Amino acid sequence: MTRERDAKGMAAIDSLRVRIEKADDALLALLQRRMRLARAIGKAKQEAGLPILDPAREARVVRRVAARARELGMPAEEVRSLFWNIIALCRSEQIHARTARSARSVK
Amino acid sequence: MIIVTRPGITEIQLDAIREAVERAGFQTHLSRGEHRTILGCIGDERMLSEVPLATLPGVESVIPILKPYRQVARDFRAEATIVTVGEGVGASIGGNALAVIAGPCSVEGRDMLFESAHVVKAAGATLLRGGAYKPRSSPYAFRGLGEEALMLLTEVREETGLPIVTEVMDTRQVELVAAHADMLQIGARNMQNFALLSAVGEVRRPVLLKRGLSATVEELLLAAEYILARGYDHVILCERGIRTFETATRNTLDVSAVPVLKRETHLPVIVDPSHAGGKAWLVAPLSFAAVAAGADGLIIEVHPKPSEAKSDAEQSLTPTDFNDVMARLRPFAAAAGRTMAAATPLMAGAGATR
Repeated sequence: MTRERDAKGMAAIDSLRVRIEKADDALLALLQRRMRLARAIGKAKQEAGLPILDPAREARVVRRVAARARELGMPAEEVRSLFWNIIALCRSEQIHARTARSARSVK
Repeated sequence: MIIVTRPGITEIQLDAIREAVERAGFQTHLSRGEHRTILGCIGDERMLSEVPLATLPGVESVIPILKPYRQVARDFRAEATIVTVGEGVGASIGGNALAVIAGPCSVEGRDMLFESAHVVKAAGATLLRGGAYKPRSSPYAFRGLGEEALMLLTEVREETGLPIVTEVMDTRQVELVAAHADMLQIGARNMQNFALLSAVGEVRRPVLLKRGLSATVEELLLAAEYILARGYDHVILCERGIRTFETATRNTLDVSAVPVLKRETHLPVIVDPSHAGGKAWLVAPLSFAAVAAGADGLIIEVHPKPSEAKSDAEQSLTPTDFNDVMARLRPFAAAAGRTMAAATPLMAGAGATR
């Protein structure tokens, strides 16, 4: 009886785990899209002679998502720190792309 | 810099303040107290001289931090930090319960480790200490069993449930030790090893930071600041005696460092009476003094047969003495408003017959 219940519970967990993996894949695809967009902005910034680091813009982005997270009933503080990390990831993507471009132009 | 906000500040006002500070390249840390919400800000304060922070809606006052340490400062975070160590039930340090970390100076073998663990647990200790890598003043002294000791510590944790604390001496050991231990200890001799402090801050394991033999309170706080600057705040400070002209004791326990630290920082503060006095008979009175002075816990050396210990023989307590110290400590803990884990009867032959 309990064994049957355990098996049922495990099956439910397994199926939820499959759905979590799908959600992770979707998150990764979105992250990839964000990084690609960041690279494009990085290129545009370089052509316009602007620096990669733009703290005012970063602060605005974080403020927006924190407010949005709160509306959605998500923990705003954790979402903020997650987005600072995402921003750092995209920023380093811009830096790498720029270094790669200048290395190519030297060649 | 700290921004104290007005009572009843709205989330939208708070967002606006944070944006104003973050756009100057600052990091912000929000701390919601019962009455006040304060915003700790880290960055180059010259960048903010143009921003009229004090006039932003919701700001009550803007206080510069004049001390060299910031994130460890109590001004920065009103609530005391409670560090939880280990998985599952684990143990917490910094709350109302007095944390007692006990065990042998170094792991010398399986039998002595298991016996020590069962003894200290039965007496009410909540964490187990045991050195795998030992920094010794002489290069010819016993320097620990290394990886073998780490495996034994993992085994004994499984048997007793006590989270384990062990020292890490070198940046190259950090990952290995962190994979086994629940809390990493940085010894007195390494307190200002800044590469090690940064490396330990990266692995996200609670850190027990011991005060250097000749370090001031400020230097200890700055060493902790190195770890917090890596974005990790589970750091426990340990007063373990300082070097003075006095030779009657191994070191001089700086009892006053405890209330000074508790006033200056939100981090938990514990005391090591074993190293401070250097004599087994001094452990009891120094423990009582530490608890009376406001320490959040103690770290005590216990060895099944101190006379055979390969290190710190003179200051290690026998199991009987440890039991006695713990029993006599209880009224002091109660007077200081602290609770202690209950003593439990020792399982017959536990750990001894392996």
